[in-house]
Amino acid sequence: MGIATVAIHSTADADAMHVRLADESVCIGPPSSRESYLNMPAILSAAAITGADAIHPGVGFLSENARFAEMVAEHDIVFIGPSPEHMRIMGDKVTAKQTVANLNLPVVRGSDGAVDGVVEALAAAKEIGFPVLIKASSGGGGKGMKVARSADELGEALSLAQGEARANFGDDSVYIERYLEKPRHIEIQLFGDSHGNAVHLGERDCSIQRRHQKLVEEGPSPALTPAERNAIGALAADTIRKLGYLGAGTMEFLFEDGEFFFMEMNTRLQVEHPVTEAITGIDLVREQILVASGERLSFTQEDVKITGHAIECRINAEHPSTFMPSPGLVRGFHAPGGPGVRIDSGLYSGYRIPSHYDSLIAKLIVHADNRTDCLARLRRALEEFVVDGVDTTLPLHHRLLDEPDFVSGNYNIHWLEHFLARTS
Amino acid sequence: MPPFDIDTETIRKLAELMTETGLSEIEMAEGERRIRVSRATVASAAAMVAPAIAASAALATPVNLASHPGAVVSPMVGTAYFQAEPGAPPFVNIGDTIRVGETLLIIEAMKVMNPIKSPKSGVITQILVSDGQPVEYGEPLMIIE
Repeated sequence: MGIATVAIHSTADADAMHVRLADESVCIGPPSSRESYLNMPAILSAAAITGADAIHPGVGFLSENARFAEMVAEHDIVFIGPSPEHMRIMGDKVTAKQTVANLNLPVVRGSDGAVDGVVEALAAAKEIGFPVLIKASSGGGGKGMKVARSADELGEALSLAQGEARANFGDDSVYIERYLEKPRHIEIQLFGDSHGNAVHLGERDCSIQRRHQKLVEEGPSPALTPAERNAIGALAADTIRKLGYLGAGTMEFLFEDGEFFFMEMNTRLQVEHPVTEAITGIDLVREQILVASGERLSFTQEDVKITGHAIECRINAEHPSTFMPSPGLVRGFHAPGGPGVRIDSGLYSGYRIPSHYDSLIAKLIVHADNRTDCLARLRRALEEFVVDGVDTTLPLHHRLLDEPDFVSGNYNIHWLEHFLARTS
Repeated sequence: MPPFDIDTETIRKLAELMTETGLSEIEMAEGERRIRVSRATVASAAAMVAPAIAASAALATPVNLASHPGAVVSPMVGTAYFQAEPGAPPFVNIGDTIRVGETLLIIEAMKVMNPIKSPKSGVITQILVSDGQPVEYGEPLMIIE
């Protein structure tokens, strides 16, 4: 697009590939994220002194921080992303659910806010339908969550959940949701522009997870029929059209027994967006920039065609069975190539992976005409992929390709952890 | 916005020399100035874009002087100003004797003027940035010995 770039970085990332490739770079702080990548004044100053016209917030860090988006706008710099208002609505899980429920999107059935005492909990649970999940209102990381499969189990589950919530978060307030036994995580890629267009680009199935972290994503989902895909896609696109949502966004659903339940919406580009780029042929970052510049999306819903199948493997610098982080020197690096093989990575021979940040070091995305060919191409690409000097999860991805459930696409969000427990 | 002058003529000559002789790296040093030109050859996979010639110039400033024992480095990103306001006399000059805590310069970030106080006592032997120059975190500003 002929746009010059400025890479911001901490001192720990001075030798990072994005810094080497960008036209200019500005060091914004020491290694700690709080003082660098989360440091709003430093980032805004870097934009000011380089005369930047726009900021792309990437993934994580400040990409869903409404206050940051506001500050960027106040400095007459374009924030490549949705409005601060939409970031706020979707950033709070409760208001997000309420907002989309009011727009007729199906949500996980739950109590209206916190439940006070066993009597109220029982009434809510009976209305929701067992089994239910009791969740800490201030919770996270899977803590303060207890399942109750019947009214008999509810009392005990309630006090256990409250006790855990109090111990972990200092707040024993809990709410109740329907518990889905074996859901799949299906997310819909959405895009809106300032000319009234709102489209969906199909789904990604991200059910292969460990501790709520995605390891493998694929599109289309082996579990959806074309009718289901079009229905949920149209519904999600309609929702963001009513909101007037700008830019890229992804709605995440739990899918079980043919039903979709809205979980949350991410108001940014996702790590696994290359899966959608592969099967639609649309450059999502380019479209983000077009929309942020006030232009129309370069395609309409009718133009969106899903072609073939794509799978992404997230390669982390971790031991493939213990998942111990493995930062350090990459002595050798060879990336696979050929048709339908894409690597997004900052790795190079001689690069030192810092210990301060996320362990994701490469994304391998493979595309082919159908899922069977895609799996075969993925096997070949993994075999050619060399990262020498640090532990990586490459061997784990190799193992998955030998698993009948993975090969047949018959998995849910608990599958990977069961597989790891079974085979450790 | 490299904060130092690049001797493009020398780099071009070194690059041509490299191509002619098939060398992959040439380093030239003269006093405190040092230039290294190297050709990085790597597998041509999508994400491994390596510029054919990577000029990693290490002239006088950043790399060498950031680790100088008397270096005063920038604690923030912004624009350096040597006087309290345009037309006013500069806070310090080369050769001045400085005490800990004295204001050396101002770094302006987002319309806020931040006085940078000296972390040590001594004599200013070098001023490495110019008035109105953008500076980044960790960039050496002055040498106090």
